[in-house]
Amino acid sequence: MNRLDYLVLIATILAIPLYGLWRTRGSVSLRQYLRGDASIRWATIGLSVLATQAGPITFLSMPGQAYESGISFIQNYFGQPLALIVVCAVFVPIYQRLKVYTAYQYLGERFDRKTRLLGAFLFLVQRGIAAGITIYAPAIILSAVLGWRLDVTIWLAGGVVIVYTVAGGTKIVSITQRYQMIVILVGMAIAFAVAVYRLSPDLSFQNTLLVAGKMGKLGAVDFSVDPHKRYTFWSGLIGGFFLALSYFGADQSQVQRYLAGGSLKESRLGLLFNAAVKVPMQFFILLLGTIVFMFYQFEQPPVYFNQPAYQRAMANGHAPQLATLQTQFDDVFAQKRALIREVSSPSSKLSPEQRDVAMSSLRELDAKGRELRDRTKAVLQQAGVDPKNKDSDYVFITFILQQMPHGLVGLLIAVILCATMSAVAATLNALGSTTAIDFYRPLIRPNASDHHYVVAAKALTAAWGLVAIGVASFASLVENLIEAGNILGSVFYGSILGLFLAAFFIRRVNGSAVFFAALAAQALVFVLFATTNIGYLWYNLIGCAAVLILAPALQQTIFRGTEAPTGV
Amino acid sequence: MNATDGEPESNGRSWRKAYSLVLSLFAVEVMLLYIFTVRFS
Repeated sequence: MNRLDYLVLIATILAIPLYGLWRTRGSVSLRQYLRGDASIRWATIGLSVLATQAGPITFLSMPGQAYESGISFIQNYFGQPLALIVVCAVFVPIYQRLKVYTAYQYLGERFDRKTRLLGAFLFLVQRGIAAGITIYAPAIILSAVLGWRLDVTIWLAGGVVIVYTVAGGTKIVSITQRYQMIVILVGMAIAFAVAVYRLSPDLSFQNTLLVAGKMGKLGAVDFSVDPHKRYTFWSGLIGGFFLALSYFGADQSQVQRYLAGGSLKESRLGLLFNAAVKVPMQFFILLLGTIVFMFYQFEQPPVYFNQPAYQRAMANGHAPQLATLQTQFDDVFAQKRALIREVSSPSSKLSPEQRDVAMSSLRELDAKGRELRDRTKAVLQQAGVDPKNKDSDYVFITFILQQMPHGLVGLLIAVILCATMSAVAATLNALGSTTAIDFYRPLIRPNASDHHYVVAAKALTAAWGLVAIGVASFASLVENLIEAGNILGSVFYGSILGLFLAAFFIRRVNGSAVFFAALAAQALVFVLFATTNIGYLWYNLIGCAAVLILAPALQQTIFRGTEAPTGV
Repeated sequence: MNATDGEPESNGRSWRKAYSLVLSLFAVEVMLLYIFTVRFS
């Protein structure tokens, strides 16, 4: 990165919060602080919801995921449009009519205080950890490749977000997310165009896609019913539906986004905008990863993208082993490149059968390349340079730093930081609001002034910011960054969603039956998570189904005779 | 109380049309992705 990059980066990430602070200056009521005001329209809500969900992981890790495993991850989003329609039709009207600040207030009105607190507690635990991961994930990568200090990166990213989120509440989060998302979409579109432009002139774009497809990178839809496959049409549609329903319907970080503004129409339009654009947006991000993969079929890639870790292992007495692996990898790369040119050349004289054989060899060489990368990682682990996150997380950032022109590099680093800030701001805003409204107000200071609760919400938002920075400072990831967030969500979301679906659709159950059903469902998901290896999206369905089955069963047995409310 | 209480019927019809439109769009998106998969795999 040069001065121009730093100028673009600093100007982009500071200008948006400063503009937001100017727009939200002055004192506000509790309602304005937690729900924004009527000036927030559907486009802002739509972009805000999109930014909250996306986060830095989408733009940093997802291209790497496609580089490594293809674009099948897109199927995880198939349940989302359906879930958003259900949220629009069922959840939003009730939240808007009851004028709640948090989703969990509704549980209190429908059931009782303990069920409300359970829903809020599960949210706080899950999102408190997730906020830390959202800061840590880009910080560990950016600090590694740019030579920034990890702790400074974490404190800078987290500190800026804390300042403006505490100051402006929901309105500033919505305003900044709108502009941050515009920067993100423009930046990614330019990155896509540059990546296509940088592809080898030896291949047309169509031939590039054909070769990528033959190498197993473009399988977007898989109708397999194997439950052990992580990404299939069915797991995406059904498991993804429950994940998205829980996330958009019962996760305060999203609920607060679409309740901003206070109009049912604007909330619904903002959500339907997401239902329409989410799958295409994710497709282009994953396709960008595939294009980067094809770029590196002609341009020599490093055997290991996390070069700082690689260089430490080299200096740590493992240079001979790594040099041998690099030589083998270079050889595989040269063979692959020659084979791709042979099969895709317009003057190729290969028969269809010979072409099939060549493609098969290409896949074998690609598998061999992956094996050499795995062996390289094993050497790094032996060397005590154990990278906690997957090397694929470093693919896109390496491509940005090495292949993009100056200025654009700064913009794309700003994209990653904007994505971090927008996701963390939404989360902190929701964590502070939930703690203030669901715990502090009813349990600690029930009858204080409006101003008192605004101050409390600000203090609690700042406190959660410090918790997130604390989690980020001590976090070490065990899996790909995308997976870490989704797995964490899936483990908790099923039972939270079960609470809400029971509230909406099962009239003859009371708070105690639902409360204990949710506890049992959460325990069941923990046990399954610890003892089985089923695809994580299914936890959403299992947790939710367990609540919906157990709650009426408990109502008919243990809690038989206790009065069940008729529903709110 | 349920989700549609207090919502005028004409308004409800408009939203049902909007939901159908979004569903149709999603179906087209999945179909295009399937065609993409078949074409390039």
